[in-house]
Amino acid sequence: MGGGATTVAIKNSVSGYNLAMEIVVQLLLNALVAGAIYALVALGFNLIYSTARFFDFGYGALAAVGGYATFLFYKLLGLDIFLSLILGVLIAGTIGFLIERVVYRPLRARKSSKTVLLVASIGVLAVVQAIIAILFSSQFQTLALSNQQVIGLLGGSITQTQVITLLAGLIIMIALAITFKYTLFGKAVRAVSDDEEVAQIVGINSEKTIGYVFFIASAIGGLAGIAAGFDTGLQPMMGFSLLLKGVVASIVGGVGNMYGAVLGAVLLALIETIGVWQFSGEWKDAVAFAVLIIFLLFRPQGILSR
Amino acid sequence: MEYLIYIATLVCIYGILGLSLNLVVGETGLLSIAQAGFYGIGAYATALLLVHTGVNFFVAMALGMVLAGVIALFIGTVLSRFSGDYYALVSLGFNVIVFSVLLNWRSLTQGPLGIPQISQPMIFGFSFSTPILFLCLALILLLLVYLIASFITSSSFGRVLHAIREDEEAIAVFGYRTTYYKLAIFVISAMLAALAGALYASYFTYIEPFSFQVVNSIFILAVIILGGLSSHRGAVLGALVLVIVPEALRFTGLPSDIAAQMQQVFYGLILILLMLYRPQGLLGKFRM
Amino acid sequence: MELLETKNLQKKFGGVHAVDHLNLSFESGKITALVGPNGSGKTTLINTITGLLSIDGGEIIVGGVELKFVQPSQVAALGITRTFQSVRLFGQISVLDNILLVLTKRDIGSALFERHSNQHLKAAEDVLKKVGLWEKRDEPAEILSYGQRKLLEIARAVSIPAKIYFFDEPFAGLFVEMVKTVSAILQELRNAGAAVVLVEHDMELVRNLADKCYVLDSGKLIAEGKPEEVLQKPEVVEAYLGK
Repeated sequence: MGGGATTVAIKNSVSGYNLAMEIVVQLLLNALVAGAIYALVALGFNLIYSTARFFDFGYGALAAVGGYATFLFYKLLGLDIFLSLILGVLIAGTIGFLIERVVYRPLRARKSSKTVLLVASIGVLAVVQAIIAILFSSQFQTLALSNQQVIGLLGGSITQTQVITLLAGLIIMIALAITFKYTLFGKAVRAVSDDEEVAQIVGINSEKTIGYVFFIASAIGGLAGIAAGFDTGLQPMMGFSLLLKGVVASIVGGVGNMYGAVLGAVLLALIETIGVWQFSGEWKDAVAFAVLIIFLLFRPQGILSR
Repeated sequence: MEYLIYIATLVCIYGILGLSLNLVVGETGLLSIAQAGFYGIGAYATALLLVHTGVNFFVAMALGMVLAGVIALFIGTVLSRFSGDYYALVSLGFNVIVFSVLLNWRSLTQGPLGIPQISQPMIFGFSFSTPILFLCLALILLLLVYLIASFITSSSFGRVLHAIREDEEAIAVFGYRTTYYKLAIFVISAMLAALAGALYASYFTYIEPFSFQVVNSIFILAVIILGGLSSHRGAVLGALVLVIVPEALRFTGLPSDIAAQMQQVFYGLILILLMLYRPQGLLGKFRM
Repeated sequence: MELLETKNLQKKFGGVHAVDHLNLSFESGKITALVGPNGSGKTTLINTITGLLSIDGGEIIVGGVELKFVQPSQVAALGITRTFQSVRLFGQISVLDNILLVLTKRDIGSALFERHSNQHLKAAEDVLKKVGLWEKRDEPAEILSYGQRKLLEIARAVSIPAKIYFFDEPFAGLFVEMVKTVSAILQELRNAGAAVVLVEHDMELVRNLADKCYVLDSGKLIAEGKPEEVLQKPEVVEAYLGK
């Protein structure tokens, strides 16, 4: 009876189909997690760019600060993981705040050009990254929990920390949206990002507002660094790479648009994940930039406009 | 003594890099963070030609410069659509792409293994095989590049670059096709960086992709910002300071990779302090 | 003879017509004044003609030829030159260099090998002496006073002969002697046969200098004719004082 061979063939093709589906689901899950990390960086970067109005290259370093601070507390000092997380985020926020106070605020006070601020931020990036490398060596480290629960999801698998990353990303997005729409602080931030002079005229202390913005944005960046530390590991140079992904995400998704940044982040992560699956992982950065350049050439306003 | 010759040679190489970047950043006001990419293209082109074909060093160098120039033509055309922050970002992107190619196109570049056994320059049977002879070559080339840069800035072309730096639209209205001017200087700058790359490859006789990353472009930027924008002497002076002072850190007895990171702290701090207290650098003739 | 014409020219920003179906013509050997309250579209008009802004409708015709997609760098070849209302000089280079820039070769290859030529220096000297800035020729342009910067801007525009000159509020901020100098320059250009277009708020100057006057309001042409007639018209007075 030919049915036997047909049944086997059908079984094979079904299992082949299942395998393909599993691969797709896994890719999507990986992309979603990476996208959440990039989205956090993009959100933080956008906050700074829209209020302080310069391209802060140094922002990337704060992701590394968050990741390594958590590493210090969790892996080196043996503190509880949640405490380490919170400390890591707070430290990143504080250091970002201090940098703004010490470096960027005086420059902005003298109306330095955007280029001057950009160059200063490049200096900040170099210094912070190098200090991290001195303190923790340039070796690749990981924050990964020793026995992690792996959850099966629709045929793919996802770790606990990845789930937490996704949740954190979602919570922060919602928290930011609520803050900007409904709180006084959020309104002040929007006013400053619209027009700082006018905001000052109506009585908003733009200096203070920007200080808080830097704290929040840096804390978010630190969280992104921590998430990346769990997902792909820690390296002193990681901040720079994350920053670039965040910037690409913002531009692809639509500059100045919060949802755009998230959309862009997920898209970028998707393209990267597929790219890595087909080619080797080392081309990731180049792929991200190629995407950026193509967008800047053909659709500079991004997918969602302001 | 050998050590001093080594330092002097490094200063020459970075002096050339500084002079080349200054043409784009200092004279024309385009914040390019791609210079290490062209430096790398020159180094790799020269190295590959020397190792695989045995052509004369100077021919390899010239070919490396041409290759860098052609690639710069393409990159420069894309860059000409952008200004300010986006220009810096896209130029950085190109550096990343070039680095990725050098790192990952293993069949061509041997990837992270690098290219060893690069030969020393020779001309008409005379070989620059001792350090001091190589230093002479480096000095001659530095002088040559200095003269080229000065020639450019003292010509009408140079004056147009200065105008573009301040207000590109205003000078365009008076009949200048500023896009082509920017492209031209970008290509020239890339070719000179490739010249430095050729020197580097032959001097160290071994190259690897990790010398040509974004952080290296940032270093060259620090050189000219310290020396002062729009000053050729500043570019060389900046190279002198940024090569010598970090090297002095070696004598403090720190382990070598910490010393390397301290160098990065040093030039990062220099950038910050300069922006805060002396944005025109040491000898700069242009304020950003 | 008409050197430059606009037909139904339009430029929109968002939904607002900055230039609203303008039909203007600028003739050789005449000083044509463009008058109107702030925001009436005068500078926007000049910006579209000189390629700084794209047009959203209508035509610009220069010497009988319609222009499409003008690039700023092509404007000079058409014989058009201009000053900017917000003075746009090159502050960190010298006064002399600001003028030489306009005199030297445009082509990259030639520019690379061109050094200072006596011919250019002489021409620069002439024009700088006319506006009284020759003594300051080696100073960076940014140290000049506002009035001197305006003079330099004007000197730059008249350094090489052109057919159509746009002067955007050239007299603002000038002392009396300077006003006389600049008036003389405008009249000289007119007498030599160029089309001189003058954007100006000072009615006295318009009456003295202009052969013809266009009055704009909110991007539309509301009056044209000889200055004495036009400036008396009720709608013109209303436009300035508000309704």
